[in-house]
Amino acid sequence: MKRILVIDDAATVRLYHREILEKAGYQVAEAINGLEALEKIEEAPFDLYLVDINMPKLDGYGFLRALRQREMPQAPAIMISTESSDSDRQAALVAGANLYILKPTRPEHLLPYVQSLLGEWQRT
Amino acid sequence: MGLKKGKPTPETDIPGERHQARDLDGLLQALHADEPMARRWAARDLAAHPEATADLVKQLRREPENSVRQVILSSLTNIGNEAAIQGLIDCLYLEDAMLRNAAIDVLKELPDQVAPFMGRLLQDPDPDVRIFAVDVLESLRHPRVEEWLIEVISQDAHVNVCATAVDLLGEVGSDQAKTALLSLKQRFADEPYIQFAADLALKRIEADGA
Repeated sequence: MKRILVIDDAATVRLYHREILEKAGYQVAEAINGLEALEKIEEAPFDLYLVDINMPKLDGYGFLRALRQREMPQAPAIMISTESSDSDRQAALVAGANLYILKPTRPEHLLPYVQSLLGEWQRT
Repeated sequence: MGLKKGKPTPETDIPGERHQARDLDGLLQALHADEPMARRWAARDLAAHPEATADLVKQLRREPENSVRQVILSSLTNIGNEAAIQGLIDCLYLEDAMLRNAAIDVLKELPDQVAPFMGRLLQDPDPDVRIFAVDVLESLRHPRVEEWLIEVISQDAHVNVCATAVDLLGEVGSDQAKTALLSLKQRFADEPYIQFAADLALKRIEADGA
């Protein structure tokens, strides 16, 4: 079973994404900020990261930069944000995100991205 | 054995450090020095000079070194006057995402000083600024927090502003938020996240009231 780490300081957002992803058959873990996420990946790497931008202690950019500098198997990351400007999108991709999508997410939009990045997506 | 008299030890010989006088004029001059270390020291010492707020804000917006930016933000936090808060709020409109997020983090640490700006921030034309304002409410110990949140979910047209407010209402909301939450669900009937978050908030309010 593929493992996904949901990183967001808002408990409701984490729970929402957990429910969507678990219903789709993924194993989900949560972190409340980038620092906690870095601790979790020390225990075991994940197959995909769902990352918010604005978080206390270590934001999504900081987490991705730290993740991408580590000598470990790398996994795709989707950055999820309320901010729609080009500079936010660009900063996310430069930091190491594979995809940048806007909140609020919808299951029918999020899951194909997740499946695609995990190499599971097939055109029907 | 007698002690040899050596050259007097200079106060500092680290390049860029404290070459300027440490009075306000000297510090302001050092804030624009070429060496980042000189700017860093000046920014740190200017925390004791509220009259330097405008210069610190100006330098923050053009400062290329992250370490200097952090010190400027820290000094503005320590100063915490109206001009410092306004300068940080102005950063919320910048395209520079890193600086904007750094300013948000600092403002969240100053809820009492940000409170007088809250009414205006919640009405700002930029939805990202309104989202930030709702975020700050989380750390604001103010009797009007629930009332502000109810106003947001009742009136704001932007889904993410309402989504942020409804998250917080799930934590601080009481019975008086229920009608507004039910109306929000109707207003955003095709947004799964709003349905999820509003239902969760209603459940928590019910549980708290039981």
